[in-house]
Amino acid sequence: MIELIPLIGCIFISFVIGSNDASNALSICIGSNVVKFNKAVVIFGLFVFLGMIAQGEKVMKTVGKDLLQVNISILGVTLIVSALLIAISNWKKLPLSSHQVIIGSLAGSGCATDIAVNMSSLVKIVFSWIISPAGAFVFALTFYKIMERTLSRLPLFRLEVILRILLVSSGMLIAYNTGANELATVLGGPLYAGLITTQQASLVGPLLVFLGAVLLSSRVIETVGKGITVLDPFSGFAAQFGAATSVLVFTSLGMPISTTYCIIGGIVGVGVLKGMGTVRFELIKKMLISWVLTPLSAFAFCFALTKALQYLPKLSAWM
Amino acid sequence: MFLKKILSYGKQEDQVIENVKKHLQLLCLAFDSFCSGIKKNDSSMIREVIDLEREGDSVRREIISTIYAGAFLPYLRPDLCRFVETLDRVFDSLEDAALNYSDVVLPEQIREECVRVASMNTNMGEMLALSFDAMVNGEDLREKALAIRIYEKKIDDIKFSILKEIRTIPVDNFWQGRTLAEFVSDLTTISDMIEDATDYLQIINISMR
Repeated sequence: MIELIPLIGCIFISFVIGSNDASNALSICIGSNVVKFNKAVVIFGLFVFLGMIAQGEKVMKTVGKDLLQVNISILGVTLIVSALLIAISNWKKLPLSSHQVIIGSLAGSGCATDIAVNMSSLVKIVFSWIISPAGAFVFALTFYKIMERTLSRLPLFRLEVILRILLVSSGMLIAYNTGANELATVLGGPLYAGLITTQQASLVGPLLVFLGAVLLSSRVIETVGKGITVLDPFSGFAAQFGAATSVLVFTSLGMPISTTYCIIGGIVGVGVLKGMGTVRFELIKKMLISWVLTPLSAFAFCFALTKALQYLPKLSAWM
Repeated sequence: MFLKKILSYGKQEDQVIENVKKHLQLLCLAFDSFCSGIKKNDSSMIREVIDLEREGDSVRREIISTIYAGAFLPYLRPDLCRFVETLDRVFDSLEDAALNYSDVVLPEQIREECVRVASMNTNMGEMLALSFDAMVNGEDLREKALAIRIYEKKIDDIKFSILKEIRTIPVDNFWQGRTLAEFVSDLTTISDMIEDATDYLQIINISMR
């Protein structure tokens, strides 16, 4: 029965990833009428599945084994707290990285019990959080420069067609990263705690993300994609693809990193090329505060909760 | 099939480009009819403008609805819509000028100047159509935009001389004077709108780069 607690948290977070991240990957495909919503969601689900089976293993190992030896009790607290924090951030529309919440929560729960947190692994993860947006910055800058020298010379409507293809491929890469990194971060714990098998993680995880995308993402996608919204596809692609490339590189290294922060790194990269005036430093400041506060608050919350649970007579045995 | 779809312009995009060309063609025809109409004082040619405007209206509606149905990337859509709506405003002003012309006897003192403006408007319309073709083919728009700006400046100068002249023309009643003033106003503001449409074309052309 107690196994159900982490599984509920895991199901909820996977579902939320589907509803939130599908719009990042699919808005342009649907908005530019390349594919209809139903087909696009199926393609998204396929790429999430592909990412999960092709490269999910490394990130799952980092989160579920290298960082600390997870058990059901730690995982229960971690995933329920993470799910709650993610739900609150969605409700209050606050920027929050699910990776940082999960890693912060795991470290907090681990420190509150006797289980040793592998500091070298934690430092590597935190270092990846710093380096990955910088990597996205460099990739985006490079892609933008290349595109400026090649694509911008094409006739407008030809350029539009090529950008559409590039944006679709970038969306697919983001879907792939969602499976290989984001979903793997959520499922790493349950897998190494013995709650699910690799096959179950590879099949049920992408299915939950797919369901989240099918049931809850359509309105956001329609608003962003179909509406007459201001999206600069040229710099948007450079920033998005730079971010996706950076996430892919870190996924190959088994590091759980945030796509959102990488996209911000990419946007700043393009912004710097277009002139510092285009970079909204106020927004970057907010994101930096969230970047620091998210893992710290998740850590503190989980640490306190795990300690409190240890003092409850009935639950102390479980902890 | 999926690859073919994303590698081609797309049916909707093709439809929009063809319809914008058709819209511009109708506008050029309307300018031509109007110019010939006031040169020859032929009311049937002037009435043709009203029919062409109605046809242009239905083409505009088709373009806008195709764009809203998902043609082109979202980023391009607002400026494309603005361009098409500006063309519609040009059509409306031309129609108003045609209607006012039918209700008024154009005084000889300003007839020649009005014919010159109508003829320049026709040239501007053709230049605008050429600019759109140039944008589709990836050619430079600067020279065509410059030509349109020069025409606009010339029309502005003529407008002031017409306004100066018109004040000395005696009118029988208020409505005759008002209709004449409105005719001159409609005829001479068309060039400003064509200049606006050219600006939108240039914005569209550089916005994706």
